[in-house]
Amino acid sequence: MDSITALLEGFATAAQPAYLLYALLGVTLGTAVGVLPGIGPAMTVALLLPLTYSLEPTAALIIFAGIYYGGMYGGSTTSILLNTPGESASIVTALEGNKMAKAGRGAAALATAAIGSFVAGTIATVLLTLLAPTIADVAVQLGPADYVALMVVAFTTVAALLGSSPVRGLASLGLGLFIGLVGTDTLSGQQRFTLGVATMADGIDVVVVAVGVFAVGEALYVASRLRHGPIEVIPIGGKWFTRDFWARSWKPWLRGTFIGFPIGTVPAGGADVSTFLSYAAEKKLSKRPEEFGKGAIEGVAGPEAANNAAAAGVLVPLLTLGLPTTATAAVIVAAFQSYGIQPGPLLFTNNSAMVWALIASLYIGNVMLLVLNLPLVKIWVKVLQIPRPYLYAGILLFAALGTYAVNFVVDDLIVLLVIGVVGFFMRRHGYPVAPLVVGLILGPMAEEQVRRTLQISEGSLSALVTSPFAAVAYSVLVVLLAVTVVLRLRRKKSQVMV
Amino acid sequence: MIAEKAEEYAFGGLVAAIGVFTLVDATTIAARDDNAVGPRAFPYAVGILLVVTGLAAIIATARGKLGQAEEAEDVDESVRTDWVTVGKLVAILVAHLVLIDLVGWPVAATVLFFGAAWALGAVWWRALPIAVVLALVVQVVFASGLGLSLPAGILEGVPFLDG
Repeated sequence: MDSITALLEGFATAAQPAYLLYALLGVTLGTAVGVLPGIGPAMTVALLLPLTYSLEPTAALIIFAGIYYGGMYGGSTTSILLNTPGESASIVTALEGNKMAKAGRGAAALATAAIGSFVAGTIATVLLTLLAPTIADVAVQLGPADYVALMVVAFTTVAALLGSSPVRGLASLGLGLFIGLVGTDTLSGQQRFTLGVATMADGIDVVVVAVGVFAVGEALYVASRLRHGPIEVIPIGGKWFTRDFWARSWKPWLRGTFIGFPIGTVPAGGADVSTFLSYAAEKKLSKRPEEFGKGAIEGVAGPEAANNAAAAGVLVPLLTLGLPTTATAAVIVAAFQSYGIQPGPLLFTNNSAMVWALIASLYIGNVMLLVLNLPLVKIWVKVLQIPRPYLYAGILLFAALGTYAVNFVVDDLIVLLVIGVVGFFMRRHGYPVAPLVVGLILGPMAEEQVRRTLQISEGSLSALVTSPFAAVAYSVLVVLLAVTVVLRLRRKKSQVMV
Repeated sequence: MIAEKAEEYAFGGLVAAIGVFTLVDATTIAARDDNAVGPRAFPYAVGILLVVTGLAAIIATARGKLGQAEEAEDVDESVRTDWVTVGKLVAILVAHLVLIDLVGWPVAATVLFFGAAWALGAVWWRALPIAVVLALVVQVVFASGLGLSLPAGILEGVPFLDG
């Protein structure tokens, strides 16, 4: 009951006009960056970090949460209406949604995506409200060894299990961990890997790295293979408010929600897995499986709901354990840290007012997003048509600005350029960038916890695995790895047979 | 194809090289040896991870398992890599960071936006006014609204532009 009172107080805060404006700003920006190719929520939050230092933490976090949710809504508009394949998270939507739009049923595809995102986002936020305080209560009792276990699980799943090449994922993680090492060691005060450069003693700023790999890396990569010619946006056709629309959509929305949310909460999260699972489920359950691949509305409704539910699910480990499992979540952790707040179990006791205002703003943001993406979808179609030279020039300009605004030193821009070039080559050769960002942010936390564990145990390594929670976490990880290996081998075998 | 393979070897080599650097440089970190885990242990682990994954990427490349280039909406996978444009963009970013201290942020920003848009194929007489307006608007917003001021450089002392 306590949490309901706290949530109501959160609503009282979040409903103040100033906070409503911040939420609106966040969701509008989020939808815009979701619609635009080349920028995503992770990069946007990173870019805005230095600009929001003058705001109070609650306001800044409400903006960031809005960007995070908004990015999920905006992405679907692009994958439905743009005539080119999109990012992995929305590929499934593109599969059916794009076919629907081409067949003159674009309105129905957009509507089922927007309403599905709203239904899923709202239900998942309710689940977050109910679960988070309980998990935080349990998590308070976790020791450093347990945190080490959780981080190892997060590292392994994000780096090795999600991408197409586990080796390259782990290499990317290693690069992130290395960048995280640069600077002054918090426990011993020793400088590490600073090459004697004074500005490196404070470490390399998370903002610079995130903006470098996401913005500069992406802009250079797109520039190397820019699609020339007019941007082909499919005109929105057909009606959506029909009996058939609701009858075929509501079940996939609910199924998608309950597939997406749990997947988001475990550190194998991310939107890709949940959308693919939801798509497979809808295809199997459909009475008209022959329509799949030709524009089945269930194939848009389910995955879009799953996508948003997973996004809310990711917030559970983020808020209760301080454990980011996606690139965007990692940047949000960095945002908390820049205000001197460590997300984790103590958040609900130490910063209770702020965290509940944040959760309340998620409900409000979802309603705003429904309005922005259903009746106002035509505005975003215009945004989608921004000529690409200006779009990427703008991305580079704001990347340089955001980086410069961190410390107002040109040295940061040199680091930005170097990391941007690394990000460019990573994209060319199938090295995922998300593990780098997760490694950068979780690495220093993991090191601290390992050393604290071993200090308590006086150097005995067994302390890392003997706590019951840690033992369970490592066992689950081993099972996960084994299942993945078996599935991959089986897939390879079936490909050989075909 | 051959060029891409060479690039893959080079990137894998770079990862392994950073790993070797991590391992070597970690030995120079001063550590008191009173407690078990000092500031060196974690760098050693990271160094080993980088060396192993870098070498593994090289082996994978040798066995023909190339990395899959990332897909994106604006990326045309059928065209060849346009190194000239990438080079131009890098040069423009370098010019931007050199110019900030010389002539101030507004001019450096104009150069960056105009240069990048032009390199990517925009018409110059349309890109130039947009670049100038954008740079000045950002400068004014920073000087007046955010309480952070960007160096005005040659525009120092101009009302609204100089915070």
